[in-house]
Amino acid sequence: MSSLKRVQQWATFARIWHIYDASWQNPFQSAGLLKKYLMGTYKPIYHPLNDCGDHVVVINSGDIALPGDEWKKRVYFHHTGYPRGASWTLAWQLHKKDPTLVLKKAVYNSMDGNLQRRYTMERLHIYPDANVPADIMKNISNQLATPREVPKRLDHYSEKEVEEFPKIMDYPKNYILR
Amino acid sequence: MNSILKLSRHFLKLEPIKYSNRAISIYPHLKLKEIYETQNGKELLIEGVHIESPRSKYSLKMEDANKCSLCALDLEVKHTDVLILSQYVRNDGCMLPRRVTGLCGKQQRRVSSLVTMAQKAGLMSNLNPANSNKDPKKRNGYKKYNKYFDESTLKKY
Repeated sequence: MSSLKRVQQWATFARIWHIYDASWQNPFQSAGLLKKYLMGTYKPIYHPLNDCGDHVVVINSGDIALPGDEWKKRVYFHHTGYPRGASWTLAWQLHKKDPTLVLKKAVYNSMDGNLQRRYTMERLHIYPDANVPADIMKNISNQLATPREVPKRLDHYSEKEVEEFPKIMDYPKNYILR
Repeated sequence: MNSILKLSRHFLKLEPIKYSNRAISIYPHLKLKEIYETQNGKELLIEGVHIESPRSKYSLKMEDANKCSLCALDLEVKHTDVLILSQYVRNDGCMLPRRVTGLCGKQQRRVSSLVTMAQKAGLMSNLNPANSNKDPKKRNGYKKYNKYFDESTLKKY
């Protein structure tokens, strides 16, 4: 066995730790992506009974973005089991209570409800900001690409960049600058 | 309320009303011109000179004069392109009218919707009225969380 094949063998059977920056990412789009790594379906040795999933560390889950007015349209339902025990929580209210829950529920709901799901979820580590404990950070060996580009705010550009950007519109001569 | 207070003070103490800073400009061209005064012996020459627009140095030259600037460039502007969108708004974040922007009807409607999207997503929060809260994270309720928009949902004219 050549040394390359040997390392490939180790990498296939090892649990890889991935990191994913969730800032300005859609949690439901991200869920489909993270599911693949958590379950290990991208590996050639994948089998539902083969425990080959990876760990995924998600950072900045407090900065996730939802399209349009989905923060106030998406509703999470819960029922205590008692009469009049139903409650409906809007996505922004859930996010305010715990900034990791919207993403966690999105990943949980994206997977099939079988006995493996709870164990697969154990391998997902979500943090609301960039503060990750050192003992988790030391395992990470791969960063996952994010599907959405992070937009840059106008006040985060320098004054020179804004001034020297090519101007499509110029004021007419009789315009009063304010 | 302020004017009532001022009037009551006037009647009580019999002071003359003073309007020190008049914010109304009677002559609209006054702000684009700079006024120079030159004394030539007995003659006093007062002249208004046009100020050059701060944008003219970096403005693009359009090849097709018949089309509006955005149609001529054939750009697919998104709501995240704040460096382009900020050219079409006043410094309080309001969309400029069509006679100022010089866009065609289609583009004017599209750009004004894109400006709204950018403002809602908090990408142009520094272009807002002076009394408003500039930090999008300090907005109320659901408005403080990040959101994005899909340009394909815009109405096609």
